[in-house]
Amino acid sequence: MGTKAGSILSERMRFTLSCYALLLPSVLLLSIFVYIPVLWAFSKSLYQFEVGGESEFIGLRNFGEILWRDPIIWPSLLNMAIFTVIAVCIRLSIPVVVAKLIYSLPTERGRYYFRLAFLTPIVVPGVAVQLIWGGLIYADQGLLNELLQRVGLPQLAHGWLSDPRTALIACAMVGFPFVGGFEVLIYYAGLANIPQSVNEAALLEGCTGVRKFFMIDVPMIMSQLKLILILTIIGGVQGFEALFILTRGGPGFRTMVPGLWMYFNAFSFQRMGYACAIGVCLFLIIFTLTLLNIRYFRSTEELEGVR
Amino acid sequence: MKIKTLILYAALMVFLVLTMGPFAFVINSSFRDNVELYHGYFGVPRAFRGMGAAAMQVARGDARAMTIENSEGEARAVPPREALGHHARLAVLSYTRAWAVIRPYMVNSLVVSLSTAAGVLLLATMTAFVLSRYRFFGSRLLFLFIISTMMFPGVLTLVPGFLLVKQLGLLNSYWAMVLPYMAGGQVFAIFVLKSFFDGLPEDLFEAARIDGAGHLQSYRHIVLPLSKPVISVVLVMNILGTWNNFLWPFIVNTEGKHHVVASGLYVLATSAYASNLSTLFAAYVLSSIPLLILFIYATRPFIQGVTSGAFKA
Repeated sequence: MGTKAGSILSERMRFTLSCYALLLPSVLLLSIFVYIPVLWAFSKSLYQFEVGGESEFIGLRNFGEILWRDPIIWPSLLNMAIFTVIAVCIRLSIPVVVAKLIYSLPTERGRYYFRLAFLTPIVVPGVAVQLIWGGLIYADQGLLNELLQRVGLPQLAHGWLSDPRTALIACAMVGFPFVGGFEVLIYYAGLANIPQSVNEAALLEGCTGVRKFFMIDVPMIMSQLKLILILTIIGGVQGFEALFILTRGGPGFRTMVPGLWMYFNAFSFQRMGYACAIGVCLFLIIFTLTLLNIRYFRSTEELEGVR
Repeated sequence: MKIKTLILYAALMVFLVLTMGPFAFVINSSFRDNVELYHGYFGVPRAFRGMGAAAMQVARGDARAMTIENSEGEARAVPPREALGHHARLAVLSYTRAWAVIRPYMVNSLVVSLSTAAGVLLLATMTAFVLSRYRFFGSRLLFLFIISTMMFPGVLTLVPGFLLVKQLGLLNSYWAMVLPYMAGGQVFAIFVLKSFFDGLPEDLFEAARIDGAGHLQSYRHIVLPLSKPVISVVLVMNILGTWNNFLWPFIVNTEGKHHVVASGLYVLATSAYASNLSTLFAAYVLSSIPLLILFIYATRPFIQGVTSGAFKA
């Protein structure tokens, strides 16, 4: 009896072990290339060190510098907030309207080809898009200035990214009219998933056009709006590639954001510990926003119940 | 009703023209030389006009000599056929130049994206399959261990990740990109695939077991064929992400030998090529072609995948 139970146990054991063996590559890669960097981010934020140099434990002094002594952090946080608010306003409005326009087309062919057409720009690498905006559209001899001259407004032509007054808004407007990409597709999916019964009921009640859009469509695609909202906010807090390419934070620090400041501290000033501390702060911001989102944004789940 | 439809199309066309406008100018400008571009972005490429005139003469059988200029500005009279070839070469000149520069970047991008995608495919299907079909001691915990990494944003791991790759001696190699991409990229894939596998009916596996299929066989003959559409969406997303990643390759290629297209374009645009707009624009166009091919090949399942409503919070 005992030996039989033992063999069953060992079989169970062998099964578990083989499962572990299959998961090992995934877990190992994650441990090395995600968990170690995460742990290092926190531990190294307590040190002052440069690559190849000596490191010195300085406790929370990096965080003290972020909060009180670094003159760039707070203006860059303000810039980040401005960029994020603008991005949220844009991504929750124009793509929704375009998705609704496409959805209202009479033929399935038309709807498909317009969705396809608006998705096509994703084949252009993001870097190329930024370089095109920086080097072709906003350049001193660029498309925008040439256009202004042609329509008889040469006095408006100037270096859009080098003028401190327009640099911020010019960066925020990159990608105009903001409909080339996934958002339209995601909103379209939301609209397509509205039950036909709801649409029919709206029609019976005489709720059509703009009124139907705001009273029926927008509430019904709330979960898609919420998804884009979260993604846009998180992207706004941590994204800085576009600004790195467009302005490198300039002119002066007019378009500096904390992520970009972290990059410069790490790779231009070699202040790795300080850069890690900035990274930790940005993570804490994102983490807090995510928690708030989970805690207070439950209302859409109730709307789901309508379906 | 008719008018309303017309307005719909008109409004959408306005959005489409505004969206595509910059890219149209890039393509048009890539066929013009830098002297032309210096005078402005509007205008038909001179090479195209030359080609048009020469083609007209050839078509009409008009054998009168045409004047062409070489790169030093010396004029020369040649037969129309030769003039046509000359202008055609001028039109693609920026492309031949751009291709010479970005070809190594393209190769690096292909190597990195494809090996990342292959690794993610292997790791994610295997891991998701095991976590979805089998319950064993610690399976929940392991799933949590994997999924939890989604909450760490790139901005947190960028600097320490660089330090780690440097410490491991992987800087300036494909590994510096492929291994972290695989590690990070598999998580989303595991998440999507596991929820898909969870939805597969247990009867299927029961039947396979009765027919004597082992774990590996039910994985290969049931799971993989059934999940082709999901896998293709996951892979397309993965390749898109890898191909577009700019900052990481830019950082870990301190010697610049393994630059991918994204980081390579930035290096080009900030190098001596910055003033050679025509070649730069041609490089932008060329760099979009691989994803365009992927796009043409994979759009239908992709649009269906996204439209099916899998993406919502």
